[in-house]
Amino acid sequence: MQTSISLRPPRHRVQRRAVLWWTLRSLLLTVVLAGALATVYLLWDASRPWTGPAALAVAALGLAHTAAVPSWRYAVHRWETSAEAVYASSGWFVRDWRVAPISRIQTVDTTRGPLEQLLGLSTLVVTTASSSGAVYIRGLAPADATAAADRLAEITQDTPGDAT
Amino acid sequence: MTTTSEEPARPGAAAGPAAEPPADGPPVTAAPPAGDAAATAPDDPATPPEDPGTPWERLDARMIWVDALRVLLSMTPAAVALLIVRVEPTPGVLWPLAGVAAWGTLGAVLDVVRWLTTRYRVTGEYVERRTGLLVRTNRSVRRDRVRSVDADARLLQRLVGLRRVKVGAGQMNTAMESALVLDAVSKQAALALHDRLLGGGADQTERAAARTEQADDERVFAGLRWWWVFYNMFNVWAFLTAAGLLWGAWVTLGMFGVDSTGWVTSLADWESLGTPATVGVALAVTWLLGAAGLGVNFFTEHAHFRLMRIEGEKGTLLRTTQGLFKTREINRDDNRLRGAAISEPLLWRWMRMADTTVITTGLSMWSVGATILPRGPRRVARNVVARVLGADPSPLEAPLRRHPAAALRRRIGWALTVTASVTALLAWTAATTKLPHTFWWISGPALLAVSLALAAVGHRSLGHTFTGDYVVVRSGAVSRATSALQLRAVSGVRVRQSLFQRRLGLATVSLSTAAGLGGYQAVDLAAEEAAEFADRALPGGIAAFRAERGDG
Repeated sequence: MQTSISLRPPRHRVQRRAVLWWTLRSLLLTVVLAGALATVYLLWDASRPWTGPAALAVAALGLAHTAAVPSWRYAVHRWETSAEAVYASSGWFVRDWRVAPISRIQTVDTTRGPLEQLLGLSTLVVTTASSSGAVYIRGLAPADATAAADRLAEITQDTPGDAT
Repeated sequence: MTTTSEEPARPGAAAGPAAEPPADGPPVTAAPPAGDAAATAPDDPATPPEDPGTPWERLDARMIWVDALRVLLSMTPAAVALLIVRVEPTPGVLWPLAGVAAWGTLGAVLDVVRWLTTRYRVTGEYVERRTGLLVRTNRSVRRDRVRSVDADARLLQRLVGLRRVKVGAGQMNTAMESALVLDAVSKQAALALHDRLLGGGADQTERAAARTEQADDERVFAGLRWWWVFYNMFNVWAFLTAAGLLWGAWVTLGMFGVDSTGWVTSLADWESLGTPATVGVALAVTWLLGAAGLGVNFFTEHAHFRLMRIEGEKGTLLRTTQGLFKTREINRDDNRLRGAAISEPLLWRWMRMADTTVITTGLSMWSVGATILPRGPRRVARNVVARVLGADPSPLEAPLRRHPAAALRRRIGWALTVTASVTALLAWTAATTKLPHTFWWISGPALLAVSLALAAVGHRSLGHTFTGDYVVVRSGAVSRATSALQLRAVSGVRVRQSLFQRRLGLATVSLSTAAGLGGYQAVDLAAEEAAEFADRALPGGIAAFRAERGDG
């Protein structure tokens, strides 16, 4: 049985640094959650029968996630822009391919969160008129993201209509 | 506050070319006091330019009559109770009556203040409204953003020929802002506003007059059949309706000193009937009462229902009018129509009933505006959709391509997972607490049967097809929705595949759009069809991104 989608992967990989970014995010979340449970474990004696195992389980799952998912994501996350469309793939357990035609694009932005700024990464956000249509391309080099945004803005201006 | 007017505002030059005062009310000329204009910032980011040429108009003075009537009506219960029935004036009786009277009077006074302080006008580019005594508000809506002009009327307003007009713009809808409301203007003014804002002939008064009789250029698509009321009487809301009715009756009767509890108790010998029978009778009576209440409610809301297409200046409009006491008229711009959807919740599907909505831009799917037909027979719904969309063959009647058997396997997987985890949880609870073990022995198989049935139903409802300019998708086990979306409205595609779907050879394709729900999905397609589906659905296609044949 053929099981994969007959779409080719987009051309560009994201930055290698993105693996570090995903690892840090995952690690931070694990530390915060397990830390909260551990605090409850220390301060509230009566809850120990269940906070102890819960904290251990969260820590184990979080570490497994931190170890496996970032590189898995790096293998999957790809993107490209052409004169007709923006094409991106992402995800790990649930894979996600998105195509937004240039003629339907309303805004093109780049955003950088605090961790991204630290690591020198940038996110390209392409929105269409739909409430469910924004395409996020994470883990780009800031220069690439800005260049892509400028190029898209230029092409978009020459293409009339946004299907609203 | 910055104005983008081309000529400087001249407070003294208000009485320019439009010196004639409006027909009713004192002459209200344009420029408001300078301090007023400076103190209030309009909530619209685009400030309308000063336009001293267009006179401001008042709401209709007949509002005052309605208010006077309202005060009288609010006094009536007290008068009837004290003077005619001669109820003992105890505090328990007096306070509610005084409350009703005070509420009515307060409402009327506020209404008069609102009439005194509200002005509105329609200029070349904007609809503007100024209102408020202590807090002045200026609302303005650009005319090219106006999407709908709806008129409705409460019973009293209708008696004196008044209409409440709501001017809606698409942006406001998404920004969760309310529409601009004019409450109330005369029937003629409402019609004229509608014609001016949504297009209408040059000769508005003539058109308005023609409309009141029966215009020829409108095509009626659907009317109400009285027996549809039965479709709308039977649902879970019946009990809630009955509870409201009974509580209201109990309070009202209590006010007049009637012992309703004692009356019900004396109706039958409840003790000899036993608890199960008593509960049964109570439920049956409540349900009957609730069903009757729902029926009456449906009838008053949808009486005189008509769905029609009428001519406007900028194109045709899809209009519904309905209501017995409170009339409501909703107009939808046909230029914004992108498709239609029929949804059939499980129980109603067996009765062959359906809800009908249109998919349009600039109109929230959850607003009443999207619904174009009361819940009624599916056959009628399909017919109406075919005529509204004007597509032949009708997209919603096209045979759908079924989704592969693997989709059924995925659903059976969900059913087994849910049943197993719920049963395991119950078994664990039974082992550690006093819950009898028979509980999960019974609930397990029952849950299994229901979830497997839902899995089969869910799989049967999956489908998709392309017909003419439309893509049609159908899904939903409990509430099956069939949506036909115009291909030109698709603004992006998204293919999703989880690891489980990958093992089963399935994928879900979502089409994003600016209209309706914002996204419509073909759930659990065969994986090898996903790219083909996306390619056909997206304008311009995705040929550039497809893998070579045999490239797996």
